[in-house]
Amino acid sequence: MATSKVEGSSSLRHAFGGVLSVFILLLIGVVAFSIRLFSVIKYESVIHEFDPYFNYRVTQFLSKNGIYDFWNWFDDRTWYPLGRVIGGTVYPGLTLTAGTMWKLANSLNIPLSVETVCVFTAPIFSAFAAWATYLLTKEVKGTGAGITAAAILAMVPSYISRSVAGSYDNEAVAIFALIFTFYLYIKTLNTGSLFYATLNSLAYFYMVCSWGGYTFIINLIPMHVLLCIVTGRYSSRLYIAYAPLVVLGTLLAALVPVVGFNAVMTSEHFGSFLVFIIIHVVALVYYIKGILTPRLFKVATTLVLTVGIAVCAVVVAILVALVASSPTKGWSGRSLSLLDPTYASKYIPIIASVSEHQPPTWPSYFMDINVLAFLVPAGIVACFLPLSDASSFAVLYLVTSVYFSGVMVRLMLVLAPAACIMSGIALSEAFGVLTRSMKFHITKYFECSHTEAPAKLGESTSTESSAPLENMTKSDTTEKPEVARKEKVARRKQKKEKELTENAHVKPVSAKKEKRPLVLPLEASIVSVFLLIVLGGLYVLHCVWAAAEAYSAPSIVLTSHSHDGLHVFDDFREAYAWLRHNTEVDDKVASWWDYGYQTTAMANRTVIVDNNTWNNTHIATVGTAMSSPEKAAWEIFNSLDVKYVLVVFGGLVGYPSDDINKFLWMVRIGGGVFPHIKEADYLKDGQYRVDAQATHTMLNCLMYKLSYYRFVETDGKGFDRVRRYEIGKKHFKLTHFEEVFTTHHWMVRIYKLKPQKNRIRGKSRKSKLGSKSTSSKSGGMTHKNPWN
Amino acid sequence: MATEPSIATSILLLVLFLTTSTISSASPSSDDLVAELESLRASSPSGVIHLNDASVSRFLSTASTPRPYSILIFFDASQLRSKPELHLRELRSEFGILSDSFSKHNPTSSRLFFAEIEFMESQASFAQFGVNSLPHVRLVEPNHRALKDSDPMDQGYFSRLAESMSEFVESRTGLEVGPIIRPPPLSRSQVVALVVIFLISMPFMVKKVIQGETLLHDQKVWMGLAIFVYYFSVSGTMHGIIRGSPLFVRDRNNPDRLVFFYEGSGMQLGAEGFAVGFLYIIVGLMIAFVTHGLVRVRNVVTQRMFMLVAMAVGFWAVKKVIYLDNWKTGYAIHTYWPKRWR
Repeated sequence: MATSKVEGSSSLRHAFGGVLSVFILLLIGVVAFSIRLFSVIKYESVIHEFDPYFNYRVTQFLSKNGIYDFWNWFDDRTWYPLGRVIGGTVYPGLTLTAGTMWKLANSLNIPLSVETVCVFTAPIFSAFAAWATYLLTKEVKGTGAGITAAAILAMVPSYISRSVAGSYDNEAVAIFALIFTFYLYIKTLNTGSLFYATLNSLAYFYMVCSWGGYTFIINLIPMHVLLCIVTGRYSSRLYIAYAPLVVLGTLLAALVPVVGFNAVMTSEHFGSFLVFIIIHVVALVYYIKGILTPRLFKVATTLVLTVGIAVCAVVVAILVALVASSPTKGWSGRSLSLLDPTYASKYIPIIASVSEHQPPTWPSYFMDINVLAFLVPAGIVACFLPLSDASSFAVLYLVTSVYFSGVMVRLMLVLAPAACIMSGIALSEAFGVLTRSMKFHITKYFECSHTEAPAKLGESTSTESSAPLENMTKSDTTEKPEVARKEKVARRKQKKEKELTENAHVKPVSAKKEKRPLVLPLEASIVSVFLLIVLGGLYVLHCVWAAAEAYSAPSIVLTSHSHDGLHVFDDFREAYAWLRHNTEVDDKVASWWDYGYQTTAMANRTVIVDNNTWNNTHIATVGTAMSSPEKAAWEIFNSLDVKYVLVVFGGLVGYPSDDINKFLWMVRIGGGVFPHIKEADYLKDGQYRVDAQATHTMLNCLMYKLSYYRFVETDGKGFDRVRRYEIGKKHFKLTHFEEVFTTHHWMVRIYKLKPQKNRIRGKSRKSKLGSKSTSSKSGGMTHKNPWN
Repeated sequence: MATEPSIATSILLLVLFLTTSTISSASPSSDDLVAELESLRASSPSGVIHLNDASVSRFLSTASTPRPYSILIFFDASQLRSKPELHLRELRSEFGILSDSFSKHNPTSSRLFFAEIEFMESQASFAQFGVNSLPHVRLVEPNHRALKDSDPMDQGYFSRLAESMSEFVESRTGLEVGPIIRPPPLSRSQVVALVVIFLISMPFMVKKVIQGETLLHDQKVWMGLAIFVYYFSVSGTMHGIIRGSPLFVRDRNNPDRLVFFYEGSGMQLGAEGFAVGFLYIIVGLMIAFVTHGLVRVRNVVTQRMFMLVAMAVGFWAVKKVIYLDNWKTGYAIHTYWPKRWR
């Protein structure tokens, strides 16, 4: 609160405040980074899950071969025999970022491995995101709110879930890019500076490079512009903030290979072009209004309106025709399912089946944004008192993202920054009022001899703007140390606007009570502050717990606690290492697509399908092979040059997401392309089971056999700990496959396709078969078997 | 696999039969039946013929096989339509769309007819078909002698509504249904009317907007809207809409008792979401009221009273949500301590 007591002391206070906030921001960065290290500390410095392994592999390639080779990379290690054009089908932002960081570190003689850089990219960018949140919220509601919002964002569980150390995925950098783009937009809007507008386009470019979620930006910003125009808030600053973004941003976006002409051809982007036209029409109207007298303007209005509407109608008609000419109306299924939430569940069962795409229930909000859910409404109200361009943007961001998060639980990630900004504003405003009241009462109490002092405090502020609260936010905007002439003009305009709204707001009250400062009773304030601190404490406790327990498991290394201590299941890496060291470089490994990325990255072997599910037929082929009897499966795999088949099996240790549990999807996807695979054949009375009552087809399919081969030897009964019953068919032999490796806990089993048999008839064939099966069995014994 | 030859033979038979019947007109009665069915189809809405016990026996059970037509029958029951989990109403309308699309693509085809049977008026037919659960769709092919032999549609074919039903029809009868034609949500004349109204009102709207005197310029409206959307989302209403979960359910053990809160994190009931959503926003609104409204109140006693109330309500709401969350998901906010520190 910059009351003009003494010039020197106030500037000293400002300097002190500045240093303090820099220090606080540093600490926030440290918190954001370190809270995400639980996964490294509790497990190890390892890359998590599935997609990050692909990103890691791409980064390795980039750091080894340079950017041009990366750009033109055709990957023949995946989707055999099709291959995949990596350079043109990935969002390169994350990879380029990590590659640059690695190069920078190495050029400074810091010998980091690529993996280390990849593991720590997400935490580093979380710190950046926290700082970006500070900047954005500062533009909206001042420094105090900014720092609070940054602190909250540093540890919001929803964001932690996607950015713990090791989760090297697009979202890790994209959330930072998102917030930073929004900050630059608001900054441009507040200053009207072309410099920031250009930066804004560049930030948008970075966002487009990083994540498909950039369409959120290119729709949200036009919406805000439109809202500003409709509510009569058009200004030249708005024009400068928007027009360069559309032109430069779209041009830049089209440079990214994976986006390319989509940036101008798909409906997701059309909204921005429409608004681009509208803002020009409006700008023209305002310009004409400026150069004409009011009477002439009225005449001109009618003229312009008719012409303008005609032009608009033509453009709209063209757009509609364009949109209608494309089969899905130009919208991708995912976007459509956001606009019409029931769309996915009706028409795209694959999208609807993914757990990330489920609509959340209320406990999800409590888990992912915790007490922020309570604070956000206060933030919304605060943004409306008074409403500025910036705060209206914050509200719009919140409202759209909260709606989308209601459709898909995955989009909670986009809501998190908005909720943090709102909560930061709410908390800071509440603390502002309460601590001011406390300060006011305490100073009054101590300096009761100088009765004027507090009154003066109240008076001086009330003469200026009548409310200390408003004054605070205002002083923040006026204190911005800035330069440009344009900005000053803009500021003046903004101030005028603000004063106008304030006056309108406060007038009836301020006339009566000019001398009373806006404060609350002392003891109630103290209790309220205490309660708010308790609320914040709950939040911190929850976040630390969520970071440590809920979101840090790498899923490549599993642990379980039992009464006799900690068990570590490192079977995946064991299996991939075996493949790497015991098979030929060009051998093909077939597995369900979930393990494709990991196999190529860790075992460096060619896979048939992977997590980039671009070719449904290919996936269906593998699904069909897995659901076929041994011989048919062997033929399919042999036709694909497959040497090894890898299955994940959890029955021994009780790992629930194994291939047997995913098997119905293989059947469904396989059956979708090859109709001789019928789901009903695998179900007994509509129930999926592999026990004694399972269907004949089920018990003879490849997946069953590969999963349960020799399983009965473990405990003599064949009790499956995931399904919790004894398996249906216990003793059987493999004719076309031989077991070559089974990991320590039997979680990954690798089989080799037997070579084609010679055409021998009669007795000799029989004896040969017998000898082969015994040899395969003994071969299996010699390999690691924990039970011998 | 076993069905393929049977389909082929049936088609063969059908073709043979059709040619013989047209050339020699051996069985005039079947031609009559076809003509009758066609006229019935023309008079029924969306071409779905309403069958009853009499017409079932006339067209199906007593007609000599092989019949020159297949009939796809939708089994309906008006007293079960109120049960949302059966989706009867929805499936029936999809069935109508399927029928419509078929007749659009094959306007003169008399090889496949669509029909429905209502349970209350034709219980005998239900028994003949051996249908005892709904939703149920059956295809009676030309050479099905007994009605029980007819081909039931698997539950899986209901999943993608008319699209998957048409796959069933195409795979069993060999007839081409063609792409499903859904009626547009607005008819052509409605669209034209809307566009005209929009065009006419546009100058007025633009004028109002420029003058700044619409509802849109009232910040309170925007604020209310924003808070409403927030409430809508955090209360999980979308979950209710997409999953079609009811507001409340009746207790299984005690039908008089209503259950408003569902235990288990994957699912929620409507009322439960609204209640918690209310708890979510009430705290924020209290904070907003205290920070922005109450400070302007002159009377210290009022301020004190309201703050007490706000704090009590806020405390209660937070506590309640934490308690409910704990009850529902089994998670309680607790500190994280590494094992070694304990």
